[in-house]
Amino acid sequence: MRILVVEDEPLLNAQLRAALEAAGYVVDSAADGREASFMGEVEAYDAVVLDLGLPQVDGLSVLKRWRAASVGMPVLILTARGDWHEKVAGIDAGADDYLTKPFHMEELLARVRALIRRAAGQASPELRCGAVVVDTRGGRVTVDGQLLGLTSHEFRVLAYLMHHRGEVVSRTELTEHIYAQDHDRDSNTIEVFVARLRKKLPPELIETVRGLGYRLVCPP
Amino acid sequence: MTPVRPVWRDSLRLRLLVGTLMWASVAVLVAGWGLARLFHEHVERQFHVELSAHLDQLAAQLEVDATGRAALRMALGDPRFARPYSGLYWQIDDLTAEGRGLLRSRSLWDVVLFVPGDELVDGEVHVHRVEGPDGEPLRMIERVLRPAATPDAPLRLIVAANAAFVDAPVMRLNRLLAVALALLVLGLAFAVVVQVGLGLRPLQRLREALAAVRDGRSAAIDGRYPVEIQPLVDEFNAVLARNAELVSRARTQAGNLAHAVKTPLTVLANAADTADGGLARLVREQVGLARTQVDYHLARSRAAAAVGVPGQRTPMRPVLEGLQRLMAKVYAERDLRLQLLACSDSLAFRGEAQDLQEMLGNLLDNACKWAKTRVELSASEHGGQLQVCIDDDGPGLPAAVREAVFGRGVRLDEQVDGSGLGLAIVRDLARLYGGEVVLEPSPSGGVRALLRLPLAP
Repeated sequence: MRILVVEDEPLLNAQLRAALEAAGYVVDSAADGREASFMGEVEAYDAVVLDLGLPQVDGLSVLKRWRAASVGMPVLILTARGDWHEKVAGIDAGADDYLTKPFHMEELLARVRALIRRAAGQASPELRCGAVVVDTRGGRVTVDGQLLGLTSHEFRVLAYLMHHRGEVVSRTELTEHIYAQDHDRDSNTIEVFVARLRKKLPPELIETVRGLGYRLVCPP
Repeated sequence: MTPVRPVWRDSLRLRLLVGTLMWASVAVLVAGWGLARLFHEHVERQFHVELSAHLDQLAAQLEVDATGRAALRMALGDPRFARPYSGLYWQIDDLTAEGRGLLRSRSLWDVVLFVPGDELVDGEVHVHRVEGPDGEPLRMIERVLRPAATPDAPLRLIVAANAAFVDAPVMRLNRLLAVALALLVLGLAFAVVVQVGLGLRPLQRLREALAAVRDGRSAAIDGRYPVEIQPLVDEFNAVLARNAELVSRARTQAGNLAHAVKTPLTVLANAADTADGGLARLVREQVGLARTQVDYHLARSRAAAAVGVPGQRTPMRPVLEGLQRLMAKVYAERDLRLQLLACSDSLAFRGEAQDLQEMLGNLLDNACKWAKTRVELSASEHGGQLQVCIDDDGPGLPAAVREAVFGRGVRLDEQVDGSGLGLAIVRDLARLYGGEVVLEPSPSGGVRALLRLPLAP
């Protein structure tokens, strides 16, 4: 899962980045509205944490631009003022949730998790596919109740597939969502992760669709 | 003791009326007096001329023979000399002897006119006021003549006429003049009333425009006014604009301050969250306190700036709908039914939109936090006030704590996010606006929040 953090205060930006990365997300960050606007439009993110008080272009305008360009990922706005009118304006501009500064990091992580889940049409924080259960809250994966040890990249690939169960997910799409922007991307590594996951997971769970990508097939 | 003010001082209309009428009355009186006097003099002069003519005629007809016997050659032309007591008389006295009434007009009948004595110079005409045969006042002129035949026996020629000949037309004219002038004054008064009414009409319009501003139906006084009033209107609009600017500046500054303070607070809190020990605990605690204080005072200062500013009117429906959209999205997970049951489109709050949002947002957020399945909203007019009713079907509040939750920093459940300030801010704001907020048990089992606020017409 790939997340864009837009915050102009460098310390808070770093804290957000660290906390989200520790929770297993891939994080890109932007420090001003123009950069954020551009990144949101060209990269594929699963969620955005957007501060409203940004230099150059303010957060609300960035959000409106994204929505006008049909960029639809869930957005959590951070507001310092805490005015209800700002919250309403944020929601009306296309935000999905808000958080008032100062906030606790756990609260932010919970909101981000909920947003990603909601965007995938998932009601529960636990993603289930047959015997496999991914708990997005703690980043834990169990098979028949047994804890499975996964590397962070393996977890990201599995979590993304779990969020898109039954859909065909291309290698490019996977790459976009598990690597940060500046990372040297190589879609061959995806194959390596998938191969490793197949070994750890029950057979036939990850199906290869020729020329298109992968699909998670859950037994009914 | 308070000095008693005359009634007319309190009304511009009366002031103008009294002023104009006083002036008009004085002018009319002076004109009337002058006209009457002029006419009177004219009539007097005419009368005198007429009497002089008669006197001249009398002198011309008088014939005195060598024995000194005087006689008229011919009777005088005016028939009134012949009619007894007609009011026009002549008489000739012999001044040497006791010859009063030597010759008399027939109209004098058996009466002899008495002439008041004076130092008469020959040939000069003298005017007297005497009593006539009927006791009526007479005007009399006299002249002394020395006939050529008997220069030592001067004769006094007298012509007299009833003063009523002068007074009657003067009286008639005075009556006419009085009626005409009274009509003129009445007409002037009417014209003044109409003129004052017309002149003051812009003030009435101004009064209505001001009422509209006060009720929040308009933000400034619109339209052009007469040059005498326009400066007043411009000044007032400038004051309104300045008020609005001050409020908006206070708001912006509050926002900037919030941003400037809260971002560092977030950084501090998060740094403390990842660390252990006494210092980290202290920082966490103090950041929490600082947040509460900043929130509370920002909300209050913003509100204090806005309360009492005239010309504010916020329609209810858009605000309620905006918050409904917000809650629906934020609480999407909870599957809450958030219903706006009643709110007429014309319903409006007499106050500032952001303050209304602040109050309703906090109440609604509370309701959503505690509700199990649904939150119901309604707004209505109630006893001349605006009443918003927010019901949830949550666990409800015991009567004992229903007031306590309005205290600053009181939180009933640490699990539910919030600074514990919401209700305190709502109550403060509501009271600043002269309204009130109370919590009651809801028919749906949870809490009903009742918010009463001033209604904008």
